[in-house]
Amino acid sequence: MMMHQVKALILTGYGLNCDYETDYSFRSAGAQSSLIHINELIMKQGAGSEVRLEDFHILVLGGGFSWADDHGAGVVMASKLKHNLGAQIDSFIGEGKLVIGICNGFQALVNLGLLPGFGYKYNERRVALTHNDSGNFIDAWVNLKVNPGSPCVFTRGISSIELPVRHGEGKFYAQEEDIDTLIKNNQVVMQYADNQGKEARGKWPLNPNGSLCDIAGICDPTGRIFGLMPHPEAFNHYTNHPDWTFEKERIFRQGKHITNEEGDGIKIFRNAVEYIRDTFYS
Amino acid sequence: MVSRLEIRLKKELNDAEGAGIRRKSREYFGFEVNDIRVIRMLTIDADLNRDQLEQIRTEIFTNPVIEESSYSPVAGKFDWLIWVGFRPGVRDTAGSTAAEAVEDLLGIKFGHGQAVYTSKLFEINGTLDEDQVNKIAGELLANNIIQQWKIYSADNWQADTGVGFLVPKVVLDHEPKVSTISIRSDEELKNISFERNLALQERDIPVIREYFMKKDVLKDRKKVGLDLPTDVELEYISQARSDHCNHNTFRGLFRYVDILTGYMEPVDNLFKSCIEAPTLKIAEQKDWVVSVLWDNAGVGRFDNDHYYVITGETHNSPSNMEAYGGAITGIVGIYRDPMGTGKGSKLILGMYGYCVGHRDYSGDLKPHLHPRRLLDGVIEGVRDGGNKSGIPTPFGLLLFDESYLGKCLVFVTALGIMPSMIGNESSHVKATSPGDLIIMSGGKVGKDGIHGVTAASETFSEHTPAGHVQIGDPYTQKKMHDFLIEARDKGLISYITDNGGGGLSSSIGESARFSNGCIVDLDKVPLKYEGLDQWEIWVSESQERMTIAVKPGHLESFMELSEKHAVESTVIGEYRDSGYLHLRYKGKTCAYIRMDLLESDFPQWEFDAEWIPPETRGLTEPVIDEPSNQGSLLAEILARPNICSRNWIARQYDHEVQGGSVIKPLVGKKRDIPADAAVVRPLLDSKKGIAVSQALNPFYSEIDTYHMAAATMDEAVRKVLSVGGDPDHLGGVDNFCWPTVEYHPAKNPDGRYKAAQLVRANWALRDICLSYGIPLLSGKDSMYIDGNLEGRFGERRKVSGLPAFLFTVSSMVTDISKCLTMEAKFPGDLVYVVGETRNELGGSEYYQTMGSVGLNIPVLNAGEVWPQYLALHEAIQEGLISSCHAVSRGGLAVHLAMVSMGGELGMDIDLQNIPASSGLTATQMLYSESCGRFVLTIAPEKKERFEEIFRNMKTGQAGIVTESTEFSVKDKNGRPLIREDIIRLKNCWKSPFGELI
Repeated sequence: MMMHQVKALILTGYGLNCDYETDYSFRSAGAQSSLIHINELIMKQGAGSEVRLEDFHILVLGGGFSWADDHGAGVVMASKLKHNLGAQIDSFIGEGKLVIGICNGFQALVNLGLLPGFGYKYNERRVALTHNDSGNFIDAWVNLKVNPGSPCVFTRGISSIELPVRHGEGKFYAQEEDIDTLIKNNQVVMQYADNQGKEARGKWPLNPNGSLCDIAGICDPTGRIFGLMPHPEAFNHYTNHPDWTFEKERIFRQGKHITNEEGDGIKIFRNAVEYIRDTFYS
Repeated sequence: MVSRLEIRLKKELNDAEGAGIRRKSREYFGFEVNDIRVIRMLTIDADLNRDQLEQIRTEIFTNPVIEESSYSPVAGKFDWLIWVGFRPGVRDTAGSTAAEAVEDLLGIKFGHGQAVYTSKLFEINGTLDEDQVNKIAGELLANNIIQQWKIYSADNWQADTGVGFLVPKVVLDHEPKVSTISIRSDEELKNISFERNLALQERDIPVIREYFMKKDVLKDRKKVGLDLPTDVELEYISQARSDHCNHNTFRGLFRYVDILTGYMEPVDNLFKSCIEAPTLKIAEQKDWVVSVLWDNAGVGRFDNDHYYVITGETHNSPSNMEAYGGAITGIVGIYRDPMGTGKGSKLILGMYGYCVGHRDYSGDLKPHLHPRRLLDGVIEGVRDGGNKSGIPTPFGLLLFDESYLGKCLVFVTALGIMPSMIGNESSHVKATSPGDLIIMSGGKVGKDGIHGVTAASETFSEHTPAGHVQIGDPYTQKKMHDFLIEARDKGLISYITDNGGGGLSSSIGESARFSNGCIVDLDKVPLKYEGLDQWEIWVSESQERMTIAVKPGHLESFMELSEKHAVESTVIGEYRDSGYLHLRYKGKTCAYIRMDLLESDFPQWEFDAEWIPPETRGLTEPVIDEPSNQGSLLAEILARPNICSRNWIARQYDHEVQGGSVIKPLVGKKRDIPADAAVVRPLLDSKKGIAVSQALNPFYSEIDTYHMAAATMDEAVRKVLSVGGDPDHLGGVDNFCWPTVEYHPAKNPDGRYKAAQLVRANWALRDICLSYGIPLLSGKDSMYIDGNLEGRFGERRKVSGLPAFLFTVSSMVTDISKCLTMEAKFPGDLVYVVGETRNELGGSEYYQTMGSVGLNIPVLNAGEVWPQYLALHEAIQEGLISSCHAVSRGGLAVHLAMVSMGGELGMDIDLQNIPASSGLTATQMLYSESCGRFVLTIAPEKKERFEEIFRNMKTGQAGIVTESTEFSVKDKNGRPLIREDIIRLKNCWKSPFGELI
């Protein structure tokens, strides 16, 4: 059994949060996940106690306010990771492993240049996540339309999903030609939409931040690096959904009961775990 | 060498921050400007070469996709420029993280005195005159207490030099020095205390002098080279004896007399009689109560393996001076209390409550900050403090009243969770032992916050020293939080407490009581800058610091862990059993005080408390006959500032982080109606939840604070029961905010009445705790909610806030799948009202709308309502109920409408079937704010079982939920009173603050 352990490394420290629920979500999805402080990867430890990125299959940059986000969200974290772990991250990607960045983690991935990774070049800052058009932080559940043509391994089999966004800097921005390339390459994974699955077309609050082309999440050309502003780990149980008390009552009145208590967000993590199993253990 | 990097968004990009300022300058001042864009500036005071500067510019500080930057001025075409930067010594978190990033990228370490400072330049295009620009700078962009600014017109701008090199470095050309203080007479010490802002209590002075003149004390002092008391010692005593730390008011003697009946009762110590005694009694009956009345927060059992921790306090004075800084310091500060409870708990939830003047206030008085600006700042402070701490903020209150122009109220509440056992010991147990090392972790010490505790204990005026205003730093604290939780789990912590009011003076002074003594080397305390006097190090309230007792054998592991988390920790002394608090600076003793001095007999504070019953004060019921247009009345009341939607606040607070959100702050079909309470699932693999709610009803204080407090407690209890909380587990947190109760013929002529109001509120607290079985897990009092505001003619008028009592209730939810939200869910469902409506419009929203106070205040009959609460809980557990809502301010009309608005479904309501005392008018039925009531909706097939559970109780089927969106109410004779479209009502309710984001 141990042979088939899918190992996820969730970064912690320096103002990151969401680690607790991201860890729980990965475990629910069948991974063996570890919360690792950034400095445990970076600092020279005593012999034997070293934590090595190469021992893991999935690198997770979760939500939070790394370095307080004072100089652009995710900017300082990206600099720190690039400067201290750049080569290790490159070989991690080279081995075909997975990277997911959620919210602050997404912001860090675009500043690191791991996304969008045009032409498999993973060191260019080509897109940005900047201040919401509203000028303020927002916590709101959004409807997301998932691109079925995207190579993203995290969203396989998902056509739409509801998740919460919680950010002040989530507006996706890039030059027009880069947006075109993203669309053409099917690197746009998720877009803000209405509850019928139609794109929000920039309309607030369906599109909560003014993201160009309603972009909520993108992947690299391989589909193995994924970044998204919404928080799948915050939909780990059906009681996270804002309408759950209504849904529960509706189901009861049909004489039924809630059979699956898992939240839809877990699917994203399970896809990652299954991909690793299929790729590394089959 | 100093360099200045300027960064701006590319021209084609929308500048959201600039747009926000534009919106505010229009809304606040009516100034229309064409465009405002923001330039971020980093002033780098360090020796970096050209290549290094270029590397940090491109690799860190400039996002090439959206930004451009230069080490030369980047301002383009403008009419005005406003530069805003911090004053020296003000916490600049962004500056520190910039320095951290630079050090990491370049592999260098900044030398002593080298730093990065952040500031901003606002580029304004628009026709404004200089006064208008000054107004935007001084009243919108900067607060002169913490910031400085400069204004440039296009004409006087030097495009090559820009703003120059402004380095707000603190340079204190001062050699730290301990002074001794003469104590020849009480009078002299009193004068010195005043001059040095020591704020010693006048009645304490003889006790203090006597101590320092005792022969054996003098003999002991001589051995350590001391004679007269030092400034360090007197500061220590002053802090420990302040009302904020010692709760002298609540521990005082109140000579209560009812001037109508002549009834007299001396009340010795409100804390002991109304808080401690009932809590101890209830704790004996409730085995879930783990630890109360001594630690930084109370502890209750969550499940077999976990405890939860709760506390609440206020941060009024600092928020009143600098809204953003005060509020962020408040929320970040309250988060340290659970961290410092037992061996430390992980934070799981925060709540807020704000009382301010009306947002559109345009009266004669000139508060330090206009309520609109103050409220914006407070909201943003709590937003950044909570969000950046990674702690959900799923509940809060906001109340407008002119009486809070004098001083705003900012309540902050925090919950944590901890394993019930650490090693072989219960986690709530902590103690210091001789030989334990004293470690300070977190931030460094500066001049900030000095005399904060004593300033909070004084009435606000324009001359209050501003030094106590700080800006909390959630980033530094989050790092420390993660570190301390790991240290706790490794068993490295013997004792932990936070550095809040009074700084090291309080944290070490209190923790050393367990070991009975300590020795501290003040020169080992890490400082932000040199030149602090010894007493300043000792009492500074610089934030984000904890004091921890660590066994010498654990030191190495503790420090390794601290380094991993990038947290500064320093051994600054040792706990002893010497019986003395001993402070040294560079080896020389500067304080040597017996540990038992503070337990000696300091004189009790005494107050005359004269209760003038409301009838004697001339209060009567107003004479108003029945409105003929009830529909318009309801629409108007729904739009009143204290009833209408304030959704813009909840939306900017992260209420989902940690992944356990069950009942969110906004619920209903469109997720826009405030929930009765928040429920979170703190352990994701458990079905257990914690429900929390709060209530605040200061308007009832105008009639009788006894009933105000009782109604407030009842409301908070009903709110947690509505979502599915357990009536057998109700934990309370009491937060009193009161105007000064000390009588003074000129300065506080109604002090005796205010003192009686305080006594009566405490009596209610005691009585209702005993009736409902609520132990007080925690609580704080904040007195002196008064201000002296300038009027139109240069006069100063005293404004006292209405006595406010915020009550927080925590409860358990055994199975979160049983939780309820308040909105009507299905057409055809039956609407029930539980609890009796009486002729109790006194202090109500309806009377306020009519310009009256009235007399008939809601009176809680705890014995009558309690069985109904138990029945409700049973019905919820059986799954009979599909929505439940506690009726509160605004009465049935408002709250039936809320349930209807929440589901966007209509209602047919018949007043005839609502349980009520006899002879009520329709308006009394609709707007009375009687306690003990709920609105429920249930599926028709559940009717029989529901009515069986509520047999013989005051419950009635008030109507039915309808498919249409008509909200219809019929009077007792079946005649229509209200027929309004519920969507229209909702729009009225949303409209007042609907534009705010």
